[in-house]
Amino acid sequence: MKTNILGVYDDENDVMHAIDKLQEGGIKVKDVFSPFPLHHIWDKLNLTTRLPFATFIYGAVGGIATFALLYWTSVINYPLKFGGKPLNTLSFIIIMFVLTILIGTVFTALTFFIRQKLYPGKEATLPDVRTVDDKFVIVIEKDEDMDSAELTKIKSVLIETGAVEINESDVDYEA
Amino acid sequence: MDKKVQLSGKFKIAMIILIVVGLISVAIGFITEDGKRAWANLLLNNYYFLSIALGATFWLAIQYVTQSGWSTAYIRVPMAMSNYFIISFALFAIMFLGVHDLYHWSHPEAVALDPVLQHKAPYLNIPFFAIRFFIFFVLWIFLTWRIKKLSLQEDKIGGTELFKKLEMTSKIFIFVFAVSFSLFTIDWLMSLDAHWYSTIYVVKKFIMAFFHGASVITAIVIILNKLGYFPMLTKKHLHDFSRYIWALSLIWGYMWLSQYILIWYANIPEETVYYIPREMGEYKALFYTELIMNWTFPFFFLMWNRIAKSANWLLFTVSVLIIGQWVELYMSIMPNTIDSHGISFVEVGTFIGSMGLFALIVGISLSKIPSVPMKHPYLIESTTHDH
Repeated sequence: MKTNILGVYDDENDVMHAIDKLQEGGIKVKDVFSPFPLHHIWDKLNLTTRLPFATFIYGAVGGIATFALLYWTSVINYPLKFGGKPLNTLSFIIIMFVLTILIGTVFTALTFFIRQKLYPGKEATLPDVRTVDDKFVIVIEKDEDMDSAELTKIKSVLIETGAVEINESDVDYEA
Repeated sequence: MDKKVQLSGKFKIAMIILIVVGLISVAIGFITEDGKRAWANLLLNNYYFLSIALGATFWLAIQYVTQSGWSTAYIRVPMAMSNYFIISFALFAIMFLGVHDLYHWSHPEAVALDPVLQHKAPYLNIPFFAIRFFIFFVLWIFLTWRIKKLSLQEDKIGGTELFKKLEMTSKIFIFVFAVSFSLFTIDWLMSLDAHWYSTIYVVKKFIMAFFHGASVITAIVIILNKLGYFPMLTKKHLHDFSRYIWALSLIWGYMWLSQYILIWYANIPEETVYYIPREMGEYKALFYTELIMNWTFPFFFLMWNRIAKSANWLLFTVSVLIIGQWVELYMSIMPNTIDSHGISFVEVGTFIGSMGLFALIVGISLSKIPSVPMKHPYLIESTTHDH
């Protein structure tokens, strides 16, 4: 069972400052929990995501698949002339446009849920439940080979930067 | 950081040369052709730069109404662009000499024979046309003058009181702009063919003004940054600018399709008359060029993250869009006005001259006011913008 060191903060700006200080000291910040999205975290923790690319792929595949469906139904399987328009017609664009968005969004949401191992009714596994209320938490992984000098260093940096509490937690949350 | 933009003598001379080239080409247009072509080109270019100035002011108003923080450092650029209204007012006033060359409905003898024009005569007549024109410009000039006055006052006093006033003025401007620019577009562009109308025409031109106004702001900010102003400009700001361009290119394409596909689908002769010379006649190549330049190219190009954050690639995109807007207006105006199509010295020269005039006015206006609003409440949020 892995344990994590949790620095609990009251203020967003203190968290930002603390991350800088910790990284200057060569301490790796594993995660940050916050009641609302902090955009700066993205660059500070060097996070990356392939989700936008997945959305692009879903959209492209969805658009082509929609065209194939429309082409097969209205040109190959059941060719029906209406309004003097050609069979392979411009009005496909509207349905393609809408279904591309739908397929892109739905599959992106599904991908996100699967990757995060989320499902309806899942119980939240949070290292500190107060992060959904008004507290910010910096998570630092506690390695087994960390000696007491390193631990005191981490704790002193957390206290210096304004942590109101320092806890340890062995909640195995999904990052 | 709060230094004013210094205009070099070379820039002024270069712009004056461009204006002279423009004047010569207009004169050549009047001498060698029947006048229609020169008037059509003047209408195109006057409308072009008016819409850019209006779109930029709309962009500015949006920043105030949404209380955007990231853009605060750059709001003096659209403020300087809004100074063009006074020049545009004079240029459009001259256009009244050419009303009979451009607008079929302005001939009483044509109206007498035409029941459709008679029906529209209470709205489309020269006195009312002139009154509307005058009211629109007075409103635009007054509101932008007030925004600029309050913002310059803010430089001395600071505080949030003036910001609230600016936000209120911006709200009024957005409302006034939406109504007045739509009617202005109906008056000057759509009534070129007074028999034809489209309800989405003005929406498309509205989006065009916003789209290209935002693009030109981006270009001016990047150029000034390269000359040493706006030291706070980062990749994050560029990304936000390119998001504006990218999203607006999508809306523009949506409006283009909305207008085209409804007319194509209904296939009513009174409506398709607009698209037949444009799509099937001699304007065929430009018809697709317009769509590719204004939608396909920026949409797929700025989708790449690396390009959306690069100043040079953004400048390249904007330069394509500047020509793209010209093509769009050419496609709106020319098939209804000039007899022989084609792009000649008159077209190029008039555009170059108008561009020189616009750049000179914006440059002089920028050099008169501090380039950054130093006491704006959101300035720190803008200079430290990092997400």
